[in-house]
Amino acid sequence: MHRATTLQPEREEPGSGSDYVVNETPSHVFGLQAVVFPLCINLTKKMTAQEVRLCGLLLREHFGEVVEKVGIHMLRNGTQNLRTILHETGTSLDLVKKSLCVLVQHGACVFSSGRKGPGSPTEYQITCDRILRILRYPRYIYTAKTLYGDTGELIIEELLQRGHMSMSSTVKTVADRLTQNMEEGRSMDYSEVSSTFSKLVETHFLQRCPPLAGAQTTDSTTAATPATPGTPASTTLPTPESYPECYKVPQVTLIGRGKRPLSSEDGDDQRNAKKAKLDPETHGDEGIYWQVNFERFHLHFRDQAIISAVANKLDQTSSEIVRTMLRMSEVMTSPTATCTKPLSANEIFRSLPASYNIARPILDQYLTLLVDDPMEFVGKAGESGGGMYVVNLHRALANLARATLESVVQERFGSRSARIFRLLLRKHHLEQKQVEDFAMIPAKEAKEMLYTLLSQNLVQLQEIPKTPDYAPSRTFYLYTVNQLPTARMLLQICYKTVSNLIERRLFETKESKRLLEKSQRIEAILASLQASGAEPEQLTEVEEMITAPEKQQLEALRLHINKLDSAENQVDETIFLLESYIGSTATS
Amino acid sequence: MAEVKVKKEINLSEPAEIENRIKELCQQFSHGITDQVIQNDMPHLEPQQRALAINKLLSLGQLDLMRNSSGLLYRLKDSTGVSKMKGSDNQEKLVYQIIEDAGNKGIWSRDIRFKSNLPLTEINKILKNLESKKLIKAVKSVAASKKKVYMLYNLQPDRSVTGGAWYSDQDFESEFVEVLNQQCFKFLQSKAEVARDSKQSPMVQRNSSFATSHEVWKYICELGISKVDLSMDDIETILNTLIYDGKVEMTVIAAKEGTVGSVNGQMKLYRGVNPILQPTGLVKAPCGLCPVFDDCHEGGEISPSNCLYMTEWLDF
Repeated sequence: MHRATTLQPEREEPGSGSDYVVNETPSHVFGLQAVVFPLCINLTKKMTAQEVRLCGLLLREHFGEVVEKVGIHMLRNGTQNLRTILHETGTSLDLVKKSLCVLVQHGACVFSSGRKGPGSPTEYQITCDRILRILRYPRYIYTAKTLYGDTGELIIEELLQRGHMSMSSTVKTVADRLTQNMEEGRSMDYSEVSSTFSKLVETHFLQRCPPLAGAQTTDSTTAATPATPGTPASTTLPTPESYPECYKVPQVTLIGRGKRPLSSEDGDDQRNAKKAKLDPETHGDEGIYWQVNFERFHLHFRDQAIISAVANKLDQTSSEIVRTMLRMSEVMTSPTATCTKPLSANEIFRSLPASYNIARPILDQYLTLLVDDPMEFVGKAGESGGGMYVVNLHRALANLARATLESVVQERFGSRSARIFRLLLRKHHLEQKQVEDFAMIPAKEAKEMLYTLLSQNLVQLQEIPKTPDYAPSRTFYLYTVNQLPTARMLLQICYKTVSNLIERRLFETKESKRLLEKSQRIEAILASLQASGAEPEQLTEVEEMITAPEKQQLEALRLHINKLDSAENQVDETIFLLESYIGSTATS
Repeated sequence: MAEVKVKKEINLSEPAEIENRIKELCQQFSHGITDQVIQNDMPHLEPQQRALAINKLLSLGQLDLMRNSSGLLYRLKDSTGVSKMKGSDNQEKLVYQIIEDAGNKGIWSRDIRFKSNLPLTEINKILKNLESKKLIKAVKSVAASKKKVYMLYNLQPDRSVTGGAWYSDQDFESEFVEVLNQQCFKFLQSKAEVARDSKQSPMVQRNSSFATSHEVWKYICELGISKVDLSMDDIETILNTLIYDGKVEMTVIAAKEGTVGSVNGQMKLYRGVNPILQPTGLVKAPCGLCPVFDDCHEGGEISPSNCLYMTEWLDF
């Protein structure tokens, strides 16, 4: 285990030795078998080519090419044991083990044993969805920053970068980093960071990693016996939430303040390595690891999307009312519910922040307007308590997804095609003639637009023959739009788009590799010269080693990379909406 | 005896009398008369004589023979048509008749051929002839631009042939439609803005942002952008396109009978609305709009690395 972490030196130790088993010999994993058995096979979701490509690129960017190779192999082939991975990727045992370690550390890989009967080798399975979350890291971090300030930002950033960490080490690292950015002589108190951490846990943005069975049962000999019928063979992966202590902050004794690194020349690696050795004290939370609760973040994103949609469609005040409703039901509503728990108008009135200054009769009017709106973001569930209201979460997602589809058609094929598209969404099945008449578009143009949309699979054609021979003259040709399949297709397009953007970014960086290296070298020289107190002339001389055109080129590169980065994040917003919509149709 | 003689005299000597009498009868009953009516009117007339008279009138084209549930009906033919048809032969009359039956929907020359069983060349000649006499006219149908339909000269073509207000010379006036579309939206939008700025209670704001289709119609009429007279239905068709553009919402409310703009006790209300989403993130990247997206592969002829669209976008 210790060996494995050398690949990612800055990453936190996952725990006491037997947490993760990266070994092909089954004898070592007997302890696991009893409890990890339920990790079942039906996790296997068919991955599309675009998803695999995007996952591969994300893995390469974040963990390097070896992990990419192993990851792609596992994505393509599903659940496999170590020997097969080793054999089929042609990578050395050591590297494969390390790659698996990295993936497990980040929760992108699960392992189980005994699928093919007791004593069969441990098998590894990669989870595609978790890898795709890497794309959304900037958004998680940004959200944490807006909600909990710099401290929250750094906590989430550290946890995302290292997969999972214990509370004490997170607090220390974050406090150190904050201190580093403060003025000389000031420092960050651990207790402040701790309290932000606790708040994040309270609001469920952080959660405990599910306790690993191996850690508890390695010593017990009873668990090693192959026949342990006590374990229920559940069909799904146990979620972190199924453990009662998921959101319980342990008692941690942490007193002190953030420290500055002794000298700036120390590389990060050295510092961490040193700290690990010099840190023998215990804080009372050993073995309890925390991870980012992506689902909670997604619920937050979803609520934000609904609020901003209401603000766009109606007005600011309505959106604040919806925000209040969502906040009130945040804790009560299950993540997969189609709508929030009913809230009475009285309750909503009491919970509205006083600063909005909304009188009770006005609130009633707003609520009526929200219910009357054809988008049906808010629904009425009853009359008691001055009227019971719910937020139609799934309906809202469906509407947002529909708006996304319409927006794509509008931007890509023009507003007249979008008119046809909306018309079909609204009227479901229409003949070509009807489309022309309703949309008021000349027959020739309408035909062309319909055929283009049809060829792009945004519109479907349904044949209804009057006679069994499907003769064209005796057949109805009905055009229609199927929202869900279209959303799925668009999602794949989004994946490909992000992949393309990443490829382009890599390409841009590769093109200017020499230049980048040069500028880095010069910056390093400058820093060291400055530290040693060199003459100003010397400094300018070194600075001039980068010529003006080169500087220009670097500036252009920086602009390009920024543009590509922001485009990636924007496309991810579309991905998020579509994924949420598709997910909501699966549960409702 | 003398009475009988007189009658016989009339009958025998003046078949024209009989014909006139029949014509008179027909004029009295404009929807047509049966054989029975003639028989009752002239009870002493021999069936042969009656038949002779009717046949003569029919051959002269002064009488029409029709069939209904109770039997055969005789009706006087349009005297104008008859006078115009003077000097025409039977074939021409037949074609004219077929075209007349088609009414203001018109009839295609091929359908005339099927109905008349005349050769196409003959029909074309007759049609030309009739057209030059200004008895019929050819109208181009909007359904198929190459298809000419024929109808009587004095008829106003049906909407299905001309396409209504949206066509001029069987061409769809898409520009006209777009202008109206924009004007209607402008009207509704300004109405919504006024309502928003009124600083009244939200309910009042919403209600005053609605406009009835009659109001929109009046606005468009007063603007005077249209050379043709537009009906309220026409405006509603335009407003519907705005609904499909996602810019307008419609609700139907119950209205008191007789209120301006209400149809069957219902009133259609329209109002301009804002979209719920800004353009989605996907279309902000060049790939979201790329025409060769499906052909793009890393390492291929078209690839993200050598993509021209991407280069242009980055340098923009």
